[in-house]
Amino acid sequence: MTFPINVESAIPKHRHQLLKWNGWGYQDSKFVFKDNEVYFSGKRYPIGELKLPHFVGWVTNVLGIDALKEQTHQPPPTNLDYPPPNISDEIIKTLELLNLSHSLNVMDRVVRAHGHTLNDMFILKFGKFERIPDIVIWPECHDHVVEIVKLAEEYNLVIIPFGGGTAVSGAVECPIDERRPIISLDTSQMNRILWLNEENLVACCECGIIGQDLERTLNDLGYTTGHEPDSYEFSSLGGWVATRASGMKKNLYGNIEDLTVHIKMVTPKGVLEKGCQVPRLSCGPDFNHIIMGSEGSLGVITEVVIKIRPLPKCRKYGSIVFPDFEYGVKCMREVARQRCQPASIRLMDNDQFKFGVILKPESSYFGIMLDGIKQFYITKIKGFDSDRMCVMTLLLEGDPEEVKINEKKLYNIGSQFKGVPAGEKNGERGYMLTFVIAYIRDLGLQYNVVAESFETSVPWNKAVTLVRNVKHVVIEECTKAGIVCFVINSRVTQTYDSGCVIYFYLGFNYSNIQNPVEVHHHLEEKARDEIIACGGSVSHHHGVGKLRKKWYPETVSKVGVNLYLCAKKELDPKNIFATNNFVDSVPHSKL
Amino acid sequence: MVGQLLNVNNRQKVLHMARKMDKYEDIIENRRNDLINWNWSTRTLRTQVAVKIYPRPAPESHKLAVLHAPKIRELVDEISSKRNIKKEIIAKEVVEILEEIGYKKSLKVIRYLSYALTKIFLNISSGIFVNYQGISKIKSQMGNRPVIFVPSHRSYADFIIFSYVFFYYDIEIPAIAAGMDFHSMMGMGEMLRNTGAFFMRRTYNDDSLYWSIFKEYVYQLVCKGDLPIEFFIEGTRSRSNKSVTPKYGLINMILKAYFLSEVPDILFVPVSINYDRLLEENLFAFELLGIPKPKETTSAFFKSLSIIKQNYGNIFFHFGDPISTRDILEDKINRTKYSKGPTHIHEINEEEKRVIPILAYEIVRKQQSSTVISYFNLIALILNNHITRDQNTTSLHELCSEVRILRNVLRLWGAPIFERDIEETVLETLMVHKGLVTTDENQTIGLITNKITTGKLNADKLKAHALSENTISYSVPFITLQIYANPVLHYLVDGALVVIILRSVGEMAIDDLFKHFCFLRAIFSYEFVLLESWYKMQFESSLNNLLGQNIIICKNGQYNIYENKYFEEVLISSIQPFILSHYVITEMLLKTAAQVDEKTIFTNAQKLLEEAINEKKMFIHPYCMSLDSFGNCLGSLGKMKVIEKKQINGKNVFNINQQSIAKVKRDLEIYIPSFHVIKSFDIFLHIKSKL
Repeated sequence: MTFPINVESAIPKHRHQLLKWNGWGYQDSKFVFKDNEVYFSGKRYPIGELKLPHFVGWVTNVLGIDALKEQTHQPPPTNLDYPPPNISDEIIKTLELLNLSHSLNVMDRVVRAHGHTLNDMFILKFGKFERIPDIVIWPECHDHVVEIVKLAEEYNLVIIPFGGGTAVSGAVECPIDERRPIISLDTSQMNRILWLNEENLVACCECGIIGQDLERTLNDLGYTTGHEPDSYEFSSLGGWVATRASGMKKNLYGNIEDLTVHIKMVTPKGVLEKGCQVPRLSCGPDFNHIIMGSEGSLGVITEVVIKIRPLPKCRKYGSIVFPDFEYGVKCMREVARQRCQPASIRLMDNDQFKFGVILKPESSYFGIMLDGIKQFYITKIKGFDSDRMCVMTLLLEGDPEEVKINEKKLYNIGSQFKGVPAGEKNGERGYMLTFVIAYIRDLGLQYNVVAESFETSVPWNKAVTLVRNVKHVVIEECTKAGIVCFVINSRVTQTYDSGCVIYFYLGFNYSNIQNPVEVHHHLEEKARDEIIACGGSVSHHHGVGKLRKKWYPETVSKVGVNLYLCAKKELDPKNIFATNNFVDSVPHSKL
Repeated sequence: MVGQLLNVNNRQKVLHMARKMDKYEDIIENRRNDLINWNWSTRTLRTQVAVKIYPRPAPESHKLAVLHAPKIRELVDEISSKRNIKKEIIAKEVVEILEEIGYKKSLKVIRYLSYALTKIFLNISSGIFVNYQGISKIKSQMGNRPVIFVPSHRSYADFIIFSYVFFYYDIEIPAIAAGMDFHSMMGMGEMLRNTGAFFMRRTYNDDSLYWSIFKEYVYQLVCKGDLPIEFFIEGTRSRSNKSVTPKYGLINMILKAYFLSEVPDILFVPVSINYDRLLEENLFAFELLGIPKPKETTSAFFKSLSIIKQNYGNIFFHFGDPISTRDILEDKINRTKYSKGPTHIHEINEEEKRVIPILAYEIVRKQQSSTVISYFNLIALILNNHITRDQNTTSLHELCSEVRILRNVLRLWGAPIFERDIEETVLETLMVHKGLVTTDENQTIGLITNKITTGKLNADKLKAHALSENTISYSVPFITLQIYANPVLHYLVDGALVVIILRSVGEMAIDDLFKHFCFLRAIFSYEFVLLESWYKMQFESSLNNLLGQNIIICKNGQYNIYENKYFEEVLISSIQPFILSHYVITEMLLKTAAQVDEKTIFTNAQKLLEEAINEKKMFIHPYCMSLDSFGNCLGSLGKMKVIEKKQINGKNVFNINQQSIAKVKRDLEIYIPSFHVIKSFDIFLHIKSKL
């Protein structure tokens, strides 16, 4: 091992050469609807190149998709589509002097003007952004960032830090009214592992390293961070810290706030960091918590010391079927009470359970028969109603012995709540689909369907009511809006001592709707209002950004808002990081 | 102006069409032709529930849930340590109270009852008419949130017939909030309980254990129950056959589940009920005079059943559009404050209590405007109008032509009235009411008077003045007649007020007219239930109505009385007894001490009016002695902050603001000249001279 490790990233510097410029993920991977059949293209994912025979029936019945009504998306943007960049020659000269890689190319700017909200995707496919960055700069190390921030201070430029571009909060979008030149500070070239300490089990990485590169490199050395958010193929370490990310296996490895040991952030006032690298500190308010979740509004996170763990010796999947959602939630609550959560434990509601079935590839005759037997056992012998039952999926990691004991315990708890073990295969499929589901939206947008997910955290005692109420409100609002075909389903994706995390998927066919994005936004707002009224939070890990500002003040209190503004004023008096997140357009006079 | 009128006419036409399309069906029609009916009573039921829950909660589960509710457990602990009694003993008390409250469900009882009721209805009524489209609309919205049926309360028969309607339409019979008076009727209470009734004590004492249990029980029914719930928002049967101002007790308990986000929404279904003939018609007249109702006993009930071998005509049910709590209150309150702490520690706060009237009044408003007006309601109004003008009889021919005029205009003004052959229907309905209205061989029609005997009355039990037997026998038929005219007043009162203003003060511009209107409307806001926020709309639509019938005219922006003399009289006479009673009450308040109890006010007012009536110098409508109207007057004056109500030793006592009451009286006197029109101006002078 020689440090620093220069990691070769799976994603090129000009990301649109490999990734879709107007959709999710790799260009070669997508759902294809052809000859009245659906398959997933490419070989990157386990369901690649397999026909999905149940898919077409579902989308036609449930979402009313008409194969003939395929929408055509607009071609990639050209220089004519957007105003020329507002960057003076003087600045360009300075950048060149400092040897900072940069681009004024319209494509480079457009692909960094957005995250992955429905609104972003809709604009890419059918519209135009009102504001895009004027320039993209690729710093290659901490010192470069310091130089760029200095430059911005000097010339009164705006910086929007850009990591993996997977935000679903509107956090990286340019404020429409911003007149100053906007720099998109792309951290992707800052992706080295600077050092690794096996004694302390920590690694110091630059902020731009993306999840899959970090994991691949650490795995080769026998380690893992265990941090696995659904976007981990594309999202970056800095982005995780900036949004307070959470990973699927947080039960075993912790959320980002548990994983980070030391953070460096470059602000217009200098570098904010601790003077030591210790496991815990009693020394006034922890300023790491001002950096975590700051969503690019206070500075640029440049280097992070993150915990690593030896790779687990054993990994095992599992699944349990419950007669209904309430039994499933009660079981999860019990698992949390006994604190025997495996690396991941999730509960899908009936609609998602059914949705999971449509992603089943064609299987052999024997496979179909086996499915039939399982179905017979569960519905006829156990008396489960197929319109109400739901499934819990489990992922266990660790020493084989521990995994075995834990597994037994979980199935025991499951049986107390009428749960029936449903095999490893079902569990494994559930987790594999995690990374594929994000691709479905692009197919939907081709056939008049818009979709989005939203999440929340909620105390245990309010979880079931929250799910029921939110679904009710969404159904009512859909009906009011004249929407005929829609889906609203949910799952519990994380458990804590005092509560859990709930994920909702909402999608609808907009063939008869004038302004689908606005309608969707309205539906989501109503849903979030209900979430908050039911005791849920503004977000568990997606963040606030621009999309969820409405609920920021009541979440943190008026004093909290002022405290944030004070920190902002102190760290960034000129509002260089004018992301406009959390609080509506920070007035210049206040700063 | 002409254009405006045309528009109004068009709009009224649309409204009229909508009414006509709103079809009603007679749900006992098929039973009449069915020889056995037992098969119908025992048919397979596929009932619609309010909330689909698996497995369906049993009645006992709600009682258990209350017993184990943290709130009740904490209360038991508290009482036990305070009174130093063992917890088990208090818990036993809780169980007993729950047994007293809780509903049960026996399909057997329901089936037998449906059979017996079929027999009774076929005997005593001509038809039970229900707007079936309303029913199917509600049915289609049931299944995913609590549904609360809120009928108007006109008779003891209401909720039994109501349950029968549900049975007919395969809707799960609701859990019905019933008064304890039913509970104490031997056999009856348990039978009703078995169809889903739960019981609520009427005492408003501070038995905190009882009320905590009751509240928790209702909360459980809303949050965890699958039955619809039914309660009477008016709190009691309306003795006057008009809407009563809403009471907030039960709706508070129900809404708590929404405020605490335990349910996503609550649907309220306003239902209006109207009877061709009320079972309690004479009882109500007595009660309005202050002679209390006899205690409900089972034998009395059966006695009343034996009396009702007679024909009671038709019964009309209108199921209104469901009102979504979320739609109405979503923007008005912030529910997030309950997101912290265990749910059971929260009680609804003042902010929420302030918005509840909006919903409660909306329900009552919907009940008012969808009440089917019967032909006898029209006849009663017409006879009343004649009597007020000292014409004690009329001919069948004249009556029918007046019914026609009134019906057609009222329909334009939005009243749901069936399209039927007038003469046939009038004769039919007169038969139903042959105890109240006579038709002799010359087809002369008049009120039957002085036929009522009261027997010895126990003066201690009278609620106000000890009226003489003579006065009572004289008054009861007139009051009964007014009771039947009352449902129509919902459509007349606003127009009547406008006419009274214009007739008394003379022509004026719309803004002045509205100021006068607001004053009078506020005085009558209890008598003719209306929330202030609706004044403007009601005013405008009544202006349009009056203009459309040439009752008033608008020239150069000035409004004045026009040429429809007949309708002007109808309008003014329709509310004359109410103006009189309200006027007398304000006079009484002005004449008494700064603090006075309710009974004294009522007694003095009745005494004065009894004397005036007995002098027989002129006709004074005995309805003006109605304690209900007196109470309404005090209610609205209280709301206007002219008087202030207090409870002292269980008595209602009022503090009077002398200056304000003097002003109210002066303001009221402005409108007295209008009574020249119906030749009853002298009544006021006469009454004034006596004061």
